[in-house]
Amino acid sequence: MRPFLRWALVAAAAAALVTFPYWSAPWASRFATTVVRDALILAIFALSLDLLVGRAGMPSLGHAAFFGAGAYAAGIASQRLATDQLPVTLGAAALVAALLALLIGVLVVRSEGIFFLMLTLALAQIVFAIAFQWTAVTGGSNGLAGVGRPMLASLDFSAPDLMYVLVAVTFVLVALAVWGLARSTYGRALIGVRENERRMRALGYDTARLRLSAFVLAGTIAGIAGALSAYSTRFVSAQDAGLGNSVRAFVTVLVGGAGTLGGPILGSALVSLIERVVPSLLPTDLRISDAILGIIFIAFVLFARQGMVGLGRFALLRVSRR
Amino acid sequence: MTAELVFQQALNGLSFGALLFILASGLSLVFGMMDVVNLAHGAFYMLGAYVALSVVQLTGSFWLAMLAAPFALGLLGFALEPLLLRRLRGRHLDQVLLTIGVSLVIVDVIGQVWGREVRSLSAPAGLDGSVALIGGVYPVYRLFVMAFGVALAVAMALVYRRTKIGMLIRAGVEDAEMLGALGVNTNRLFASTFATGAALAGLAGVIAAPVFGVQPGMDTDPGLLYSLVVVVVGGLGTLSGAVAGSVLVGPADTFGKVLFQDVALAVIFAIVALVLLLKPTGLLGRIRIAR
Repeated sequence: MRPFLRWALVAAAAAALVTFPYWSAPWASRFATTVVRDALILAIFALSLDLLVGRAGMPSLGHAAFFGAGAYAAGIASQRLATDQLPVTLGAAALVAALLALLIGVLVVRSEGIFFLMLTLALAQIVFAIAFQWTAVTGGSNGLAGVGRPMLASLDFSAPDLMYVLVAVTFVLVALAVWGLARSTYGRALIGVRENERRMRALGYDTARLRLSAFVLAGTIAGIAGALSAYSTRFVSAQDAGLGNSVRAFVTVLVGGAGTLGGPILGSALVSLIERVVPSLLPTDLRISDAILGIIFIAFVLFARQGMVGLGRFALLRVSRR
Repeated sequence: MTAELVFQQALNGLSFGALLFILASGLSLVFGMMDVVNLAHGAFYMLGAYVALSVVQLTGSFWLAMLAAPFALGLLGFALEPLLLRRLRGRHLDQVLLTIGVSLVIVDVIGQVWGREVRSLSAPAGLDGSVALIGGVYPVYRLFVMAFGVALAVAMALVYRRTKIGMLIRAGVEDAEMLGALGVNTNRLFASTFATGAALAGLAGVIAAPVFGVQPGMDTDPGLLYSLVVVVVGGLGTLSGAVAGSVLVGPADTFGKVLFQDVALAVIFAIVALVLLLKPTGLLGRIRIAR
């Protein structure tokens, strides 16, 4: 496909996505807008995690700590600084998430593989437990209610359709950034670290620094996703920072396909479907969406480690060979 | 803090440490043999507590529950290893990922079968009272937990050093592949190890139930979180590491909760950070978990 045509298609798809609540209004419910909005927040979160899991080969099971840090920071900043201005609260979210990622990152980038996974899990879970118990600051187990509206000057994004637009625009920007990053020298260096760290070191790269910078970058984007979640529901739950949310993002990335742009996005569509649409098809006393996710995840790890994107590529290959 | 309070908290810390040992020893054993950090360990712990709940409801016997829960979990582990983990032998990270899926399924099934309310299990008759100890009274059950933890550590050490099974375990921790080449059935060895790890988690679940309750969320806190912290601090894959980690983390956590209340876990965070920076093998481990 010609580059121009390709960009035109991408722009059209992005425009269609951002304006979804407006053109879908005649036939879709408000619920659909909410589900797509939350799926896009999950997609931003998963894209940030995939920078670590898929690109740099750093399997983090503690990514929700940064999502939660961003959500809390946006909420607490709006209350303590008594401002609704988006640049302030979103800036606070990004900053706090980045600082927390730096603190945890310094400790964990010295580990690899299973140990990296174990340490990110343990340290992030300690952060969660502190957030869960520190009622004076975070609201503890009750959560943080009354998060300020996201305002840009006098434009109020808290109206459902505008909230959706804010999330969708951020999603498009993050997806473009990840796309650009994957093609940059920096992105290629990260892949080099994943494939053969010793060799990258021998080539003169400061691999510890590369890994740490990826960790902080991914944490910052996760913090932004967390802030969007806080604006959407005007509420932060301690569970946003918990292991369940980390696992959810990890499952999203792996089921979709790690190390690809489409993977985390497809994965978030599937996970949202299972979490939000499937329960409405089951009896109300049957709450097994986590178990369904778990079984799907096990199946992908056993039989399709490359995720939905890998399955798609495989199918395309089979078709084109015929 | 008065001297009596310090003494009481020290006892609390040590009994928590004993419980942590029961919990973490299984995780450490499985890692030592199979190089797999079983992230379903917390879910196994939780399932142990719920199985115990049902056994006590049916038979009224806590002691029977203490046998039944580890047995049930052992069977589950013995079935899961060949069913799932064996298919990915050698791909350790993917095996670890599998255990995440297992954990998701188990926790949801528990919620569906036993409900999602906070439940409780009382200590067995004879251990439900208190005894007079220096300057106050102290619950007997916590002393029992301490004694049980010590007894289990001694028993495990004896099995390791003095029995044929222990010899196999030590050899397997050293080099499981070589052991297979020498004619040992590693399939059976791995399945039994995984089953033993699960049984230990189930045992920890029963023993913890009268102290920490039986509720949703116990799979991660204290389950998985504390067992990971113990093995990181103490050192992975060695029995002495699990002992050292438990004895340090139990009291540190207990005193942290008295002194710093809401931010008590910052103490644990600091300990993990210090160990990682200064002694990346853990206090008594041999495997470097960080550079």
